Amino acid sequence: MSPRLLALIPSAVAVNLAIGLVVNQLGLPLYLDTIGTVLTAALAGPLAGVITGVVSQTVRSLYEGFIWFPFAAVQVVIALLAALAARRAGFRSPATSAGWGLFVGLVAGAVSALISYFVFKGVTATGVTAVTILLTHLGLSQGQAVTASSVGTDLLDKMIVFLLVGVTLRALPLRVAGRFPGATRATRR
Amino acid sequence: MSDRPRLVRRAHPFTLFAVTAGVAALAFALPAPAGPIALYAVVVAAALLTGAAASARDATLVCLPLWVLLLLLHALPGDGATVALRSVVLSRAGLAVALAQAARLGAVATASLALFRSFDPSRFLDAVAVRGWSFHAAYLLVATLQAAPRFRQRAATILEAQRARGLRYGGGPLRRARALVPLALPLILGMLGEVDERAMALETRGLDARGPRTPLAPPRDRTADRVLRWGMLLLVVAACAWRWLA
Repeated sequence: MSPRLLALIPSAVAVNLAIGLVVNQLGLPLYLDTIGTVLTAALAGPLAGVITGVVSQTVRSLYEGFIWFPFAAVQVVIALLAALAARRAGFRSPATSAGWGLFVGLVAGAVSALISYFVFKGVTATGVTAVTILLTHLGLSQGQAVTASSVGTDLLDKMIVFLLVGVTLRALPLRVAGRFPGATRATRR
Repeated sequence: MSDRPRLVRRAHPFTLFAVTAGVAALAFALPAPAGPIALYAVVVAAALLTGAAASARDATLVCLPLWVLLLLLHALPGDGATVALRSVVLSRAGLAVALAQAARLGAVATASLALFRSFDPSRFLDAVAVRGWSFHAAYLLVATLQAAPRFRQRAATILEAQRARGLRYGGGPLRRARALVPLALPLILGMLGEVDERAMALETRGLDARGPRTPLAPPRDRTADRVLRWGMLLLVVAACAWRWLA
């Protein structure tokens, strides 16, 4: 692994963790805890993105008691799809970023629903579980309720993550973008 | 160092990881609900005996909202055979599912928070160097643990600076979402800007150097550590075998 990648990944993971502070201040019903993963995958490729996602989930788990570690699989899926989006210039405009974000949100939500249902028996983050409980009381089965709440949350979250990463990549000074070949390809600059 | 659990901090860094991983595996391998409940009791007792009581307390705080939600989702519908707790009627099967899952979460959270409280990055890097394992992987974990508080501080500074410049992030969700760009962008661009500086620092400190690394004060791997690690592995294998045969 190159020194540049070894310098980039811990910082990207730290962004994943620190962005929670911003989201809490804004009081938005989002996580945005994959910004660093998507950015690294777009800049340095799928492997770097996967490593960022797994390290991110490991460190978060260390802080919060390892119960959320199984969601590392969602980070891996997001990293792979973000790298694919970057390869196809998916960050060239706000519209393409939002489109890829919705697609990734759909897939990530489905994977997340499987983990929530089978590993956590439907109980994960407070807000998502509150929606799950509401939906089960409205007559949906537990599986349907978990899927609907997970996919619903992830669609919005990943769309905003992809929009933010798109804005960042397009705002990168050429001097910095030049050091990451993925940046120019992702935005077709 | 002083706030780390007394006995746990003397253990070899790999022992703590092995015990935490073993507890996580046992939580799902042992038959529910009695297995996970017994495991949670053992983990809490071990935490109290080894001076890691604070981890048990923190784990309870982390898990408490999840326990309430588990009861609401699984036990409260009151389907099938029921149990009456004063005026509340709970589903017997749902209560068993909720108790088993609550105990699993409690056991894993207590063990891993004890690990986190006793984790010493430099001892961990030394232990990895002694074994000749990938220094890059260990560096990623340790560098992230050191970078996380720095970036949280930076995010707080950006929030204060933008508020001082007149950014208002109250109001409807759309207005609050719009405030994300001026708050998140400086954090991300700042991070990318310093990557080269850090890469150069790593290069000049011999990150790419080949050959074995020699730690100055490697952590002792006592017999008790090895017994604990192998014992944990045997327990997990036995639990899986018992589950499979049953």
